[in-house]
Amino acid sequence: MLRQFAEFWRRRDLLWHMVVRHLRGQYKQSVLGYAWAFVNPLSLMIILSFVFSTIIRVPVGEDVPYPLFVFVGLLPWLFFSSAIASGTDSVTNASSLVSKVYFPREVLPTAAVLTKLVDLFFGLIILVALLAYYERLPEATVYWFPLLFGIHLLFTLGLTYPLAALNLYFHDVRFLVGVVLTLWFYLTPIIYPVDIVPSKYEFIFDINPNAVFINAYRRVILYGEDPEPGRVLIGLAVALITFVIGYYLFKKMEKGFADSI
Amino acid sequence: MQTASDAPEIEFRNVTKRFYLKEGRTLREFAQALLTRRPWGDEFSALEDVSFKVDRGETLGIIGRNGSGKSTALKLIAGVTAPSSGEVYVAGRVSPLIELGAGFHPDLTGRENVHLNGSILGMSDREINDQFDAIVEFAELQEFIDTPVKRYSSGMYMRLGFAVAVYSNPEVLLIDEVLSVGDAFFQEKCLARMHEFQRQGTTIVIVSHSPETITAFCDRAMWLEKGRIVADGPTKQIQAEYIATVPHHAEVAHGG
Repeated sequence: MLRQFAEFWRRRDLLWHMVVRHLRGQYKQSVLGYAWAFVNPLSLMIILSFVFSTIIRVPVGEDVPYPLFVFVGLLPWLFFSSAIASGTDSVTNASSLVSKVYFPREVLPTAAVLTKLVDLFFGLIILVALLAYYERLPEATVYWFPLLFGIHLLFTLGLTYPLAALNLYFHDVRFLVGVVLTLWFYLTPIIYPVDIVPSKYEFIFDINPNAVFINAYRRVILYGEDPEPGRVLIGLAVALITFVIGYYLFKKMEKGFADSI
Repeated sequence: MQTASDAPEIEFRNVTKRFYLKEGRTLREFAQALLTRRPWGDEFSALEDVSFKVDRGETLGIIGRNGSGKSTALKLIAGVTAPSSGEVYVAGRVSPLIELGAGFHPDLTGRENVHLNGSILGMSDREINDQFDAIVEFAELQEFIDTPVKRYSSGMYMRLGFAVAVYSNPEVLLIDEVLSVGDAFFQEKCLARMHEFQRQGTTIVIVSHSPETITAFCDRAMWLEKGRIVADGPTKQIQAEYIATVPHHAEVAHGG
């Protein structure tokens, strides 16, 4: 497996070209182009804020305005869910290529996931603007964010690999992914804080990696608290294991790709 | 002639390749297959116990009718698919001229697609930059290289795909019925380039059901029928045997 990974690394030029190819294709025929990358998170933030702080009042404490609270959860979630969804389809969509030329196939889901970093980057610009609007500075602990996100990215990649491979064999996978992502959204503390969850259900948020990540983002960006070291280490271990197993499964299934197209 | 080195460039050892006949399997069928422990749909052997070697610098032509397993053999050499049993050994960088421009993205310009397709074929960015002008000149697309390829005619599309593959500096070149690219002039150029490859000692495998292509290039031909090797030897001899078995000789000779 290390040898396969080395081969993958050797082909990073190709990974880069694939990312560019995705990006160029994404907003090509649209008038607003990359402005759409702003529209999606911004409009979601506005509607969620209206529903959950004006109609239904979700208590998030005095310190943080609801739009900020929801946006810091929403951004990484949008990255995660769009990366998984587009990664799942990545190999299937490139089937004509896969059945003709050999290249390390993990380039396809990896490129699909990395492409979503650009949307995340635009989202972060909105976040900065939002912080400025509320006359706040990001807390000093924000330097944790890149590390936390790096772990989150590793976890996302690890989940995407086997889904992308399975989707080639069973087209049911993409529909299943759609359903699971919707359920997962509600079971992740994006629109509500974990403290209002009845204690008997708290375990859900301990075993849900996205919940752990999103809580950590809020701590370091909005509340100025360091993440709990134990949780960071567990998160890192889970992400690494997910990545290694996911990558292994992908390479196992890779051999049959061309035959299942 | 190039002197062939000791190690063969390509070797098939008792290779069998089976496919499942059924299309579009779903989870339900998979669950059923698991529960009933019955095999998953009917199997079909595209290649059955095939063994051969191709030495470095040799040009092998594979002939046979549709469904004889020719294209499967090429896919195995390209590493796109794995054998069901047996071993496939290939040394060196393989460049498949199978369906040219498969990696092109319609919204990208010719220039961007050269980079994309080149890197799919295993070229580094530096190699692509070094070969870029030669690729564009070969494809005769200097004026259109910054146009999105969706505006290209099918001939331009093919020419660019062919040019990239040809300049990817392959050690093993796979050709599947693509020498009918473009107009007569461009075809001449492709043939000249093929001969140049042969002089440089590139290993070439050509698949065709048109005997002319094979005769033009190959010293050696292999005849496949229903996934098995019927004969393997000097092109002229194999060609004659093959043509003798085809009832409508003329039709085949002009087809493809």
